[in-house]
Amino acid sequence: MSSGQPPIQGIPKPQVKALNCPKCGAAITLRALGQAISVVCPSCHSILDAKDPNLRILQEFNKITSIDPPLIPLGTRGKIRGTDYEAIGFERRNIKIEGVRYHWHEYVLFNPYKGFRYLTEYQGHWNDVAICKELPIIDSRFSIPLEANYFGELYKHFQTGDANTDFVLGEFPWEVRVGEQARVTDYIHPPRVLSSERMSNEITWSIGEYIYGKDIWSTFHLPGSPPQGVGIYENEPSPFNTNITSVWKAFGFFAIGLLALMIGFDAGSKKEPVFHSSYQLNRGEPKGEGSFVTNTFLLGGRTSSVEVATSAGVQNDWIYVNYALINQDTGQAWDFGREVSFYSGYDSDGSWSEGKQDDTVVVPSVPPGKYYLRIEPEADASHSTIVYTVDVKRDVPVTAFYGIGFLALLIPAILVTWRSVSFERSRWSESDHPPSPIFNTENS
Amino acid sequence: MFKKLYLIYGILVLGSVAYAEYRGLSLDSMNQLKNVPKSVRDNPGSYRSVYSSYHHYTGGK
Repeated sequence: MSSGQPPIQGIPKPQVKALNCPKCGAAITLRALGQAISVVCPSCHSILDAKDPNLRILQEFNKITSIDPPLIPLGTRGKIRGTDYEAIGFERRNIKIEGVRYHWHEYVLFNPYKGFRYLTEYQGHWNDVAICKELPIIDSRFSIPLEANYFGELYKHFQTGDANTDFVLGEFPWEVRVGEQARVTDYIHPPRVLSSERMSNEITWSIGEYIYGKDIWSTFHLPGSPPQGVGIYENEPSPFNTNITSVWKAFGFFAIGLLALMIGFDAGSKKEPVFHSSYQLNRGEPKGEGSFVTNTFLLGGRTSSVEVATSAGVQNDWIYVNYALINQDTGQAWDFGREVSFYSGYDSDGSWSEGKQDDTVVVPSVPPGKYYLRIEPEADASHSTIVYTVDVKRDVPVTAFYGIGFLALLIPAILVTWRSVSFERSRWSESDHPPSPIFNTENS
Repeated sequence: MFKKLYLIYGILVLGSVAYAEYRGLSLDSMNQLKNVPKSVRDNPGSYRSVYSSYHHYTGGK
């Protein structure tokens, strides 16, 4: 949409006719000449028959417009879907649901060639509405409407209620009345809404599309900013919904990629054993300071990881080993300590165990070269003889990265799904088909 | 919009995992030192580990 304020050259201006209100004498301008059925006096708000040359009064209505003035002043022009329209009518309607009356506004737009179009506004949510070109096919069960099919698109039933007109202003293509009642049924397929209005034996179908207030303001060059939308409207497009399936598809694609990486790196890593030796920490040997160094071993290939595995046959005991992996030539060292402890027993709950008799640690990014280990074992002062084995492997994969990567991919997908589901639940909570609560708190 | 961001994010995650694996990175904590004297080879006790005197678990259930 774009602006269309003054009449565009080449496009004829709607024919106007000036008359006077038979009740108060105020000047009335008929814009949709020959097409409007009713016109409301802007001064005393009497509803007049626009077809009657003498403007017969259909209904007197003295309520002050200033209570709820139209946000788009009548006579304002704007371009919708490439066509210039002028706002010529305004009505306020309400619907009572569970004892609460909800009000919304409808604007009648007119173009002498294209005819009438409507804008509806409810708490800052707007819809661009046109009369249906074809009758939708309704699927209902036990006279409860479920779905409507319009041009092959399925619309889910949202709400049915009795709408009342409580204020009118301007011109209308039907015989408008304050207090007019219609049975309104809405079916949604966001961002579209399909509505039927039944008045006595006549049913009118209209199709609406959600439109943002800022676009209305821009189209009609309205001053200030549009009112913020309150809550989630029935056909408001979800900012998340369209992405959910594709996000999960992308997640699946990345998960497969992660698996392929894991298989690839696992197959490609050498896992080359470069050192193996067993040691013994004898009973009563002093705690600490029993340090020694191993023979040198060669770490070949490119800069990669080194795994140091310690296993000890401890039983209700522990051993702590201070390690330093030292490059014989450069003096570069990685200093770390590892504990191996294992406890088990039996109590009133049954048997239990805690800890492990082996431990592995991965030293990161170790350049190739000749290395040795400085080992300093520690144990409890009253320890029994502990035999422990040290194994060193070159270039081992770290599976934890894949777990972290998987979680990093999963969490945003879950979050966006959760937000989408919350959005849809909020939308449908206002419908005739509210979703069942996720957590039933009634019994708590 | 989110899908595009997620695609970029996913590629970064996969790239990071591949980089970490290729470079041989690790999640284990350790202290890296430079220029450890060669005398450690002959006198291991002269080297002071930053992890010595660690408070060990001595319990069980």
